[in-house]
Amino acid sequence: MQIESKSGKSDIAGTVTAVVFILLASLALWDTTTMTDSDSYVFPRAIAAAMIVFCVLLIAYNLVRGAADSRDADAGTSGPVSTPRRVGLVAAMLFSSLAMPWTGFLLSGVFAFGAIMLFAMYDPWTPRRRIVFPLAALAVVLGFYTLFSKVLLVPLPVGFWFR
Amino acid sequence: MTGLDYLWQALTPFNLLLALAGVVAGTVIGSLPGLTATMAVAVLVPITFSMEPASALILMGAIYTGAIYGGAYSAILLNTPGTPSAIATTFDGYPMAKRGDGDLAITLACVSSVVGGLVGAAFLLGLAPPLAEVALAFGPVEYFWLAVFGLTLISALSDGNLLKGLIGACFGLLLACIGVAEISADIRFTFGSQVLLGGIETVSALIGLYCIPVMIDLVATPDRHLKVTTESKGFRLREALAVSWKSKFNLIRSSVIGTLVGILPGAGGSIAGLVAYSEARRSSKRSDSFGTGEPEGIQATESANNATVGGGFIPTLVLGIPGTPPDAVILGALLIQGVRTGPSLFTENGAIVYTFIYGLILATILMLPAGLIIGRYAYKSIITIPKALLVPTVAFMTMIGTYAIRNSISDVVIMIVLGVIGWFLNRFGFSPSPIVLGLILGRIAEQGFVQAWTIGAATEDLTGMFFGRPISLVIIAFTLVSLFYPLIRKRWSMKGGAVSAD
Repeated sequence: MQIESKSGKSDIAGTVTAVVFILLASLALWDTTTMTDSDSYVFPRAIAAAMIVFCVLLIAYNLVRGAADSRDADAGTSGPVSTPRRVGLVAAMLFSSLAMPWTGFLLSGVFAFGAIMLFAMYDPWTPRRRIVFPLAALAVVLGFYTLFSKVLLVPLPVGFWFR
Repeated sequence: MTGLDYLWQALTPFNLLLALAGVVAGTVIGSLPGLTATMAVAVLVPITFSMEPASALILMGAIYTGAIYGGAYSAILLNTPGTPSAIATTFDGYPMAKRGDGDLAITLACVSSVVGGLVGAAFLLGLAPPLAEVALAFGPVEYFWLAVFGLTLISALSDGNLLKGLIGACFGLLLACIGVAEISADIRFTFGSQVLLGGIETVSALIGLYCIPVMIDLVATPDRHLKVTTESKGFRLREALAVSWKSKFNLIRSSVIGTLVGILPGAGGSIAGLVAYSEARRSSKRSDSFGTGEPEGIQATESANNATVGGGFIPTLVLGIPGTPPDAVILGALLIQGVRTGPSLFTENGAIVYTFIYGLILATILMLPAGLIIGRYAYKSIITIPKALLVPTVAFMTMIGTYAIRNSISDVVIMIVLGVIGWFLNRFGFSPSPIVLGLILGRIAEQGFVQAWTIGAATEDLTGMFFGRPISLVIIAFTLVSLFYPLIRKRWSMKGGAVSAD
C-alpha cells in the first residue's frame, strides 16, 4: 500500500480529517438504523464501515510510521497568498445564492460578479479599467442571463422584491 | 438503394449545414459547465420537429457529438468538466494547460474526439444489430462489476496516498446515497432537511469539487491562471497528429471501449471515459506520468466519450432502448416524428437510418475544423482575459450552470459548500477525483448490487449470481488486472533489471 513517508511536516491535518470522517461514517451508520428496508441500508452500511476501517488504518500509519505530508498546498505561487480574498470569494458566492429568492438571479449575479471582480483585482484601477471592467461585467451577466432565460428557457428566479 | 446513394443523400447542402451548425452549437453548449449533452439536445430538439426524419437525426447527432467534445474545453482550461463525460479529461488536460500546453491539449482532444466519433459511427454502420444483443446480455450484476472496475481507478487518482483515495471514494459513495433510495425509496442521510431530499446532483458536485477550489486559489494570488508562452504556436495540429499516430493503439482501443460502453443503456460517456482512462494508464509505458499532464490520458478519455455517441445509437435504433441519456431525448423526438425504432428499422427505414449514419460521420469530420477554431478561440480568451474578469465570469457560469440543471438554488449552495470542502480536503492530501468517482459510480454500483442481491437471494444462488456469469467474470478479471498490474509489472521490471545486472 502506497503511503507517503517523505520528511516534512507531520500529517496532522490528514489524521484530524480521518477522525472527522470516522464521526461522519458513524453518523451515517446510526442513520441507517432508521431505515426499514434492507435494500436501503446494506450498501451505505458497508461503505460507512469500510470508510471507518480505512480511516483507522490511516491514523495508525500516521501515528506508528510517522507518515508525513510534504505537500505545500500553496507551492508554485510567486507572491503572498491572500486568505481574506479567498474568504471573500466564497462569501460573495454564498451570499448571492442565498439572497437569490429575494433579489432574483439578475441582481444576485450582478452583485456576485462585482464583488468577486474586486477580490480578484490585483492591477491598479486605471480610468480605462474603471469604465471597461464594469461594462464587461454587465455584458457577461446580461448575456448569460438572456441566453439561459430567453434562449434555453431556464426559469431563473425573478425574486420576491420584483414580483 | 446502395450505401453510396445514402451518402449522397446525406451530402445535400442543407444536411451539411445542419451538421456544421449542430456541431458548433453543441460544442459551445457543452463547453459551459452545467450544460450537459442531454440538455443541449433537449433544448434544440424542437427545431427538428418540422424537418425530415433523417435531417432531424443528423442535427441531433451533430449537437450530441459536438456537446461531448465541447466538455473538454472547460476540463482542460478551467479544471471543470463541461459535461460529466469529460471528468477524466481534467486529470491530464488541466496539468497540461498549467504548464503552457493547453493549446496542444485542446487539439489532441479534438483529434481524439473525431477518431472516437468515427469509430463509434463505423460500428453503428456495420455491426449495429449483432452488437445490440450485447446490451441485452448485461444484467444488474454486470453493471455492478462495471462500476467496481471504474472504482479501481482510485489507485491512479489518489495522488500518492491510496488510503486517502479510498477514504475519499467512500465519502463520494456516501454522498451518492443521500436522498431517496433508488430501489426501496427510503429516505437516507437527509436528517430532516428538505434541501437534501433530492440528493446531491452529480454535475453540480463535479462543478463544485473541481472548479471552486481552482477559483479559491486563483483569487488568492496575482499569478496568471495558465502559463503563457510568448510565441504563438497556432493550432499545433501537426504535433497533435504526431502524438496521436504514436499512440494509435490507445486511440483505437479507447474508441472501441467507448462504443461498447455506449451500447450499455445507462452507462454513458463518463463511465466510458473512466474505463478507457484506466485501461490506457494500465497499458501505457508512461503510466506513472498519468495525472500529471500525459497526452495519452486525454486521448483515451476524449476518444472513448465521443465513441459513445455512435455506440449509444445502436440499442436506441435497433432495440428502442436508449444507450445514453441524450439518446432518450432523441428517441422521443423520433417517436414524435412517427419513426418507430426496432430491429426492422434498418430494413424498412434504411433511407432514414443510413442517411443519418453518414450524416453523423460527416458531422464528426466537420468537428475537426470547427472544434479547432472554437478551441483556439476558447484558449486565447482564457489566457488573455484579465484575472479580475476571468474569475467572476467563471464563478457566474458555475452558479447559472448549476442552477439550470434542476432549477434549484439549493443545488447552487450545495455546489459552493462542496467546493469549499473539496478545497480543504485537497490541502490535506485528499484528492477530489476519488470523491467524484464514488459519487458517479455509487448509484450504478448500488443499484446493480441490490438488484443482483435480490435476484440471487430469490434464486438461492448468490455466489452464482455474482461470480458465475461469463461477462461478470471477464469484468472481474479486468478489474483484478487493473488493480494488480502495476505491482506485477514492477516485479517484472525488477527481475529484468536483476537479469541484466547479472
